[in-house]
Amino acid sequence: MAWIVKPSATTQIERRNEPYLTKEMRDGYTADLLPRYETSMGALMPILHDVQHRNGWIPKQAMEEIAAFLGIAPADVLDTASFYEEFHTEPTGKYVVGICQSIACEVCGHKAILDHVRQKLGIEPHETTDDGKFTLLALECLGSCDTAPVALVNDDLHEGLTIEALDAVLDRLPD
Amino acid sequence: MPVTDPVLLKRIPTAPWGDPKKRTIVGYDEYVRSGGYTMLEKALGMTPEAIVTEVKDSVLRGRGGAGFPCGVKWTFLPPPDGGRRYLAVNCDEAEPGTFKDRLLVDFDPHLVLEGIAIACYACRLDTAYFFIRGEYRHQAKVMENALREAYDKGIFGTGGLLGGTSDFAVECYVHRGAGAYICGEETGLLEAIEGKRGWPRIKPPFPAVKGLFGRPTIVNNVETLAAVVPIIEHGADWWKGMGCESSIGGPPSFGPKLMGVSGHVNTPGVFEVDLGIPLRTLVETHCGGMRGGKKFKGAIAGGVSMGILGPDQYDAEMDFDIGRKYEVMGLGTACPTVFDEDTDMVAVARNISRFFKNESCGQCTPCREGAQWMFKLLSRIERGDATTKDLDLLLELAGSMGIMPGTTICGLADGHNWAVRTIVNKYLPEFEARVKPYHVPVSVTVGAS
Ligand SMILES: Cc1cc2nc3c(=O)[nH]c(=O)nc-3n(C[C@H](O)[C@H](O)[C@H](O)COP(=O)(O)O)c2cc1C
Ligand code: SF4
Ligand code: FES
Repeated sequence: MAWIVKPSATTQIERRNEPYLTKEMRDGYTADLLPRYETSMGALMPILHDVQHRNGWIPKQAMEEIAAFLGIAPADVLDTASFYEEFHTEPTGKYVVGICQSIACEVCGHKAILDHVRQKLGIEPHETTDDGKFTLLALECLGSCDTAPVALVNDDLHEGLTIEALDAVLDRLPD
Repeated sequence: MPVTDPVLLKRIPTAPWGDPKKRTIVGYDEYVRSGGYTMLEKALGMTPEAIVTEVKDSVLRGRGGAGFPCGVKWTFLPPPDGGRRYLAVNCDEAEPGTFKDRLLVDFDPHLVLEGIAIACYACRLDTAYFFIRGEYRHQAKVMENALREAYDKGIFGTGGLLGGTSDFAVECYVHRGAGAYICGEETGLLEAIEGKRGWPRIKPPFPAVKGLFGRPTIVNNVETLAAVVPIIEHGADWWKGMGCESSIGGPPSFGPKLMGVSGHVNTPGVFEVDLGIPLRTLVETHCGGMRGGKKFKGAIAGGVSMGILGPDQYDAEMDFDIGRKYEVMGLGTACPTVFDEDTDMVAVARNISRFFKNESCGQCTPCREGAQWMFKLLSRIERGDATTKDLDLLLELAGSMGIMPGTTICGLADGHNWAVRTIVNKYLPEFEARVKPYHVPVSVTVGAS
């Protein structure tokens, strides 16, 4: 839940020397994204998507760099990044397995699938396996209710799932 | 005259006209070969006012959930003042049970783009944002590709709107959401495009007057915009030949409608049918009937926010009167989720309540706190740990939150309110059987001490 306030005064920011926003990325944003919006902040969501796409998640250092690039406060970046469920502000596994738990999927048997994945991976929703390979999520409706139950594994939607079908998908993913 | 040929699904094979297995993405060339973008050409030959009038005359009602007449919304715009004016296309589609806009984007993205181009020309809007939910990753790519084609072929950008033949130019961009249902609410959507958290705004001002970046903005659903294309092609009277008049003296429900059926039916999917089709007909003739020959127990009317149609409401007509006739909030997205006789309605209510708890944006206390509380009560009822008093409390809480009771900023809380109240009221014996009587322990001393 995006609106739960977490204490941030004591936040430690892990730093690395190499910036997350490379020159090439900045040039790309300046050319393609900034002209699309009346304010620089308009480009924030596409930039967050891009950083997450490249890095898997959005570290605080990257947020500071984005803020400096857009000329807004780092807190504004954190505000937006923490509001949206899809932006990960903590590291995730290499593969994010999101199982739909909304109504059509529930009445079409999502629970058996979720329980199976829980056991198979030994983690609960919102947890990551120790080897960093999988993060399990329980998501709300993925807009594919006619083929329920469904799951989103990274960018791929898997429809009409059975335990066997999902097993086959997960087992095929390289480490 | 009922819908005899597919209208919005002209290029997307769908039963009874075509085989869904044969669906492929319609690219620019194929779109143009089958008559695409000729309606934009026709529209550019009309005055913007004439287009708005045609859409107004067709009584095209918004397909995003509220059913507001599209042409009337367009007239709320102030006259152009030389500053920017926006179109925000709502492809958030995160309402559980809803998957109709996705079909259009998946296979016929140029139809949506043609609708966008016509709407922008008619309303003098120079920039369109196609807001698409984050989980529609494949669809965002399809739309990006279609947009690139449309830019190349002189639809959008400078020298666009058909290769510079018009004195008007429109920019169009895809803006991806990131997993927040609340961004489907029109002002939450505007905040998200501005890069902020998707907190709905207090209205007024309405977006038509003060929307994106403080400028006049129209927010329309994907299906609404797609419908503008055939309306320009065949005219308002033709459109009004489909769908139905109101049977209770309200505004009419004209035109075909995409209805996505999910749940316990044999062949779930999106179908294009007349507004006013009885739910039973939709299920029996389009969806191959109830799965396993089971009995109908109920159906979410059109996205979970709308509440439920009970066992005796299987014949409910799927049109904009449905709210006033069948004790649900409204037609919503017209995407029913159907439940058979084995469904546990307490679990259904708990599932829906969890959704609203997770998706409340947290601005309004009744919605944020009430949602948590209702979810806990429903979980307790489901486990068998609740008493009759909890059930009363649940109904009281539900009835107290929303725009209609006047306690919240947006309609998300009304959705929670209607979903829970209608399920409890229509299946009361099921809930009562799960709760224990509430005893107040009293000690009474009889006689003198
Ligand atoms: C909580 C909430 C969620 C909504 N989600 C959507 C949505 O996903 N898609 C949509 O088109 N409209 C959605 N709406 C309705 C929009 O606010 C708005 O009425 C609609 O996009 C207007 O377009 P239309 O007039 O073409 O229907 C939602 C409304 C609320 C209150
Ligand atoms: S009703 Fe709920 S979702 Fe809507 S603005 Fe208030 S807290 Fe946010
Ligand atoms: S309920 Fe699972 S995809 Fe819609």
